Amino acid sequence: MKMTFNFGSFLSARSVVGETLHELGQKHNNVWALTADTGGALATFKKDFPDRFIDTGVAEQNCAGIAAGLALEGNIPFIAGMIPFMTMRACEQNRTAICYQDLPVRFIGTGGGLTSGGGSTHNAMEDISIMKSLVNMTVLSIGDPNMIRDIMILSMDYPHPLYIRLAQGKKDRMLYEPGTRTYKIGEGITARDGKDATIIAHGEMVYVALEAAKTLAAEGIEVRVIDMYSIKPLNKNLLLKAVKETRNIVVLEDHLMEGGLASVIADAFVDGNIYPENFKRLGIPQVFAGFGSGEELRKKYGYDDTATVAVIKQMLK
Amino acid sequence: MADPKEVKRLEELAYEMRKKLINLCGAYDGVVHIGGDLSMTDLLIGLYHHGMRVDPSDIKSPTRDRFLLSKGHGAVCMYIAMCLRGYFDYDEIVKTYGRLDSAYGMHPCKIQLPGVECSTGSLGQGLAIAVGLAFSARQRKEAHRVFCMMGDGETCEGEVWEAANTAGSYKLGNLVGIIDRNKQLMTSFDGDYMRLEPYADKWRAFNWDVVELDGHDMGQIIDALDNLPPITNEKPTVLIASTIKGKGVSFMEKNVGWHAGALSKEDTEKAIADIEADYAGERSAA
Repeated sequence: MKMTFNFGSFLSARSVVGETLHELGQKHNNVWALTADTGGALATFKKDFPDRFIDTGVAEQNCAGIAAGLALEGNIPFIAGMIPFMTMRACEQNRTAICYQDLPVRFIGTGGGLTSGGGSTHNAMEDISIMKSLVNMTVLSIGDPNMIRDIMILSMDYPHPLYIRLAQGKKDRMLYEPGTRTYKIGEGITARDGKDATIIAHGEMVYVALEAAKTLAAEGIEVRVIDMYSIKPLNKNLLLKAVKETRNIVVLEDHLMEGGLASVIADAFVDGNIYPENFKRLGIPQVFAGFGSGEELRKKYGYDDTATVAVIKQMLK
Repeated sequence: MADPKEVKRLEELAYEMRKKLINLCGAYDGVVHIGGDLSMTDLLIGLYHHGMRVDPSDIKSPTRDRFLLSKGHGAVCMYIAMCLRGYFDYDEIVKTYGRLDSAYGMHPCKIQLPGVECSTGSLGQGLAIAVGLAFSARQRKEAHRVFCMMGDGETCEGEVWEAANTAGSYKLGNLVGIIDRNKQLMTSFDGDYMRLEPYADKWRAFNWDVVELDGHDMGQIIDALDNLPPITNEKPTVLIASTIKGKGVSFMEKNVGWHAGALSKEDTEKAIADIEADYAGERSAA
């Protein structure tokens, strides 16, 4: 049965996670939900499957370890939590207890980039860099709530550790009409076509990239936007095609510029002897960004849609 | 009370195991974590040869008891306990231990060595994983137990107490922790810097049942394992086994220089002579 969420153009990523997990829990008796005290969205799962729900309290390392133990017994544990603590406090457990044994644990992290609103303790600007460096780990960044659901469902047949980065987790914009796309680990989406340049983005920044593309289109510049939701593994064909057809590449992401998708793409360029005419990256510089909304901070640090438009116009001069 | 015949059978196995450990260490040109191997030798014999329901011919049996070696640097001790139980071939271990592409590494790897339940080596991580195994067993209404062997030193790690808190809170009666309480860390004695006491009280405070025993007294080991509460118990159980690091070898016992080491030919001969004398002494006292 194909179900989609379609109540307005915004909906809560967390509620999608909660509902989808509940549905998966109903269908598969080896699905577990774990949280280190951030499981508000898991209430229905907890109510209906209390013997497969574990709240460890504020103890992320332990939470990762328990997930490893469950997975060793053939279970599929989903850990829901806040990104910085899930990826940094428990980093070694993620690596050694989970990735070393190649266990099918799913990490669903909320508050990607500078969207948390909690300041630098709660901002998540290193997670992609950290998680992609773990052998056996797959890294996705999702900016469309229906995609979260589809990916969670297809993850049931995926035998490796999987990290899903979500943005703030309150209200997320729908990027794609429900049911119009199929998603696959290792793929990407051409969210808008264009011939003059390509913006490659992930997560919530896909929307920002589309806004920039719209502005540029009004000035006669046709920009392609790629939603590179699968950061590891990366769809190199999609990348190569963009270089060949648009020559100019801009990476836009809510992550440290060093170590994020831009670095993954730079690696692919080096390994594949690929030379775009221009290659720029926009994202978080080496700062602890401080307080403010995601939108305000993007503007302050120069990676919002206005900054993207300026960079592309400069590039095409 | 433990059957004296069973005590004797296990003591002989432990004696055999100590000699095998020393001979392996002597044959290997690198470092072996021999101190902590010798401190948990009797416990591992008790577990693999008496307390745990395991079958080396059916290593994936769903009903088997699960064993996690949280102190992963004691891998060779586990390999030999399992080898004596019929899992592995001793000569193969001696021939390949620590060498390129060997299944028998310094720390156990589940993927390379079937029969090992979990890859370990990073200290303090085993108990949380064991908690996951215990949750799974309880949810599926399986009757086996999960045993997790920890070194006392690694219980300085915070994750151990996070996991202990979860196990106590969720009343995982099918979980058994075993502490190799040799009162030494890698480079110091308990209390030189960090102090673990009051150790049993700490576990009790985390809602565990505590059994304290002499980890070199096979009768006490058997009794502790035979008298574990049912898996429906309201609390997990921890066996705090008082042990001696380097047990059985005079120049290693309670010597921080022998957390890990390489044995020369002379060292090997002296260690074997010590183990033989120690065993003969115990036998004459019995």
